[in-house]
Amino acid sequence: MQETWKAFRDFFVSLKLTVVLMALSIVLVFWATLAQVQLGIWGVQEKFFRTFFVLERIPGTDIPVPVFPGGYFIGGLLLINLIVAHVSRFQLSWRKSGLFLTHLGLIVLLLGELFTGLWQEEYQMRLDEGETKNYSESYRFNELAIIDTTHPDHDDVVVVPEQLLARGTEVQHPKLPFRVIPRAYYPNAALQMREEGQPANAPVPVNRDIGTRLRTIPLPLTYKPNERNLPTAFVELAGPEGSLGIWQVSPQLLQPQVFEYAGRQWRIALRFERHYKPYALTLLKFSHDRYAGTDIPKNFSSRVRLTTPNGTDDREVLIYMNNPLRYAGLTFYQAGFDNNDRTTILQIVRNPSWTLPYIACALMSAGLLVHFCIALGGFIRKRRAAN
Amino acid sequence: MPSRHVFLSALALTMLLGGCREGKVANYQTPKETVPPVVPAPDAPAAAPDMASIPVPTGNRHLEWNAPSHWTPGAASAMRKGSYAIRGDAGEADLSITSFPGDTGGLLANMNRWRGHIGLSPQTAAQLEAEVQHIDVGPLHFDVVDYAGSANGIPTRIIGAVLALPGETWFFKLMGPDALVAQEKAAFLAFIETVRIP
Repeated sequence: MQETWKAFRDFFVSLKLTVVLMALSIVLVFWATLAQVQLGIWGVQEKFFRTFFVLERIPGTDIPVPVFPGGYFIGGLLLINLIVAHVSRFQLSWRKSGLFLTHLGLIVLLLGELFTGLWQEEYQMRLDEGETKNYSESYRFNELAIIDTTHPDHDDVVVVPEQLLARGTEVQHPKLPFRVIPRAYYPNAALQMREEGQPANAPVPVNRDIGTRLRTIPLPLTYKPNERNLPTAFVELAGPEGSLGIWQVSPQLLQPQVFEYAGRQWRIALRFERHYKPYALTLLKFSHDRYAGTDIPKNFSSRVRLTTPNGTDDREVLIYMNNPLRYAGLTFYQAGFDNNDRTTILQIVRNPSWTLPYIACALMSAGLLVHFCIALGGFIRKRRAAN
Repeated sequence: MPSRHVFLSALALTMLLGGCREGKVANYQTPKETVPPVVPAPDAPAAAPDMASIPVPTGNRHLEWNAPSHWTPGAASAMRKGSYAIRGDAGEADLSITSFPGDTGGLLANMNRWRGHIGLSPQTAAQLEAEVQHIDVGPLHFDVVDYAGSANGIPTRIIGAVLALPGETWFFKLMGPDALVAQEKAAFLAFIETVRIP
């Protein structure tokens, strides 16, 4: 046991480990920078940094294999290396206070990135004038929602993440009297209403609802930060007595598709991943002000009404550039507009650790300054002594 | 030394397993949600009204325009960048503004699709070229067509403008009762003149 603990400590205290991790970080950042051309900023963050290992698929298969340590692995080991080295070699002395502060700042910076990766949430809410919503939607992720609408007071929702559809994973949930079998999935596709006699272009025969009238055009994945992939899935539902049919679902379809089964009313839809809130926003008015006589934008603003079901909050708020609404730990920014100025797009962000990078930079700056002053003082004293 | 190997193997395995993130099926209750009703158009245009009222990732270029005050704005959707209802004595016409990636099959295929909506036979490329009107608005080039036919036995007209931009195509399609759409043609052309890239 003693030997294991010693191996543990020696490994993490080692300066060699620091150098190896630094070198790995350089390779990782360089590789990710090149990959950003194909993957975009989101893809790179997920594939290289917010993961323990960079995974590549074996050619011709879907089997992922770790090929390089990822950001969490390198950052995590660096953090442990730094902390263990300080604990095991810590000597409280005035001469080392600058170095101590600098390393403390580095620890805070690494922790800040970890917490941001774990806790930061970023969504959007699109509201037409007069529309009310109590949920925000993900910028990137989608979900298959199967909704039991039979109850008069509420809807019972089962959501299946997009990854399971992409992987073709069959889902059986206690709330559903049928199995959900993903038959095919396109990560990005355009849909058109199909003309008589035109091929559906579907990988499996769709026999339920609007999917029978659609034409599917697979599109290459987009990695541009201002674009979004729109997937299409072909989903079969199967009860104990056999198949109920194959539906085509996509976030592009306006309405959930409706069907009846086992004496209950159901809706099925592939939609942007939703996050429900215990409050609602109503867009009262969106304003796009321009400088008089020109088309140059002067100001964008959304007058919204914020309400909670229990009535504790019912107020009007004006959200405009640099004046976000802060509520329930979230920040609502004016992010965009659409529909010829009748639809507002709010960006909703939660980042409880947003102050940590600032604190880290302040600590590191102070540490370097203190260390410089101490070294300078020592240098001046030596010069005086020599003279 | 063997204990070091055991320790390192355990560390690597833990981190590898920790790296696998799996989405989970979730279940929750929400207040009853009212789904926006589908308004049947005289004849369903290509990408509406069955398409979603959620963000628009199809074409990402943003255009602006000024619509006449008597046109009633409707909600945008995934495919519709803009939407207007135009009411008159003869009924109601629908103006849809849509955007699709690429050239969506080309002008001829799309115009023949529109012609099919109002019972007209397909045109040849030469016939289309003879009939199409070209309008330049600053750097934007519009191909404008005017087709009169019938849908469900009702005289119906489509006046449309197609704007091809790099990587995407925009369609401005006014469709409705023949008399009403013909009456709105001047307003539609004036509206096209206001389309601009901000």
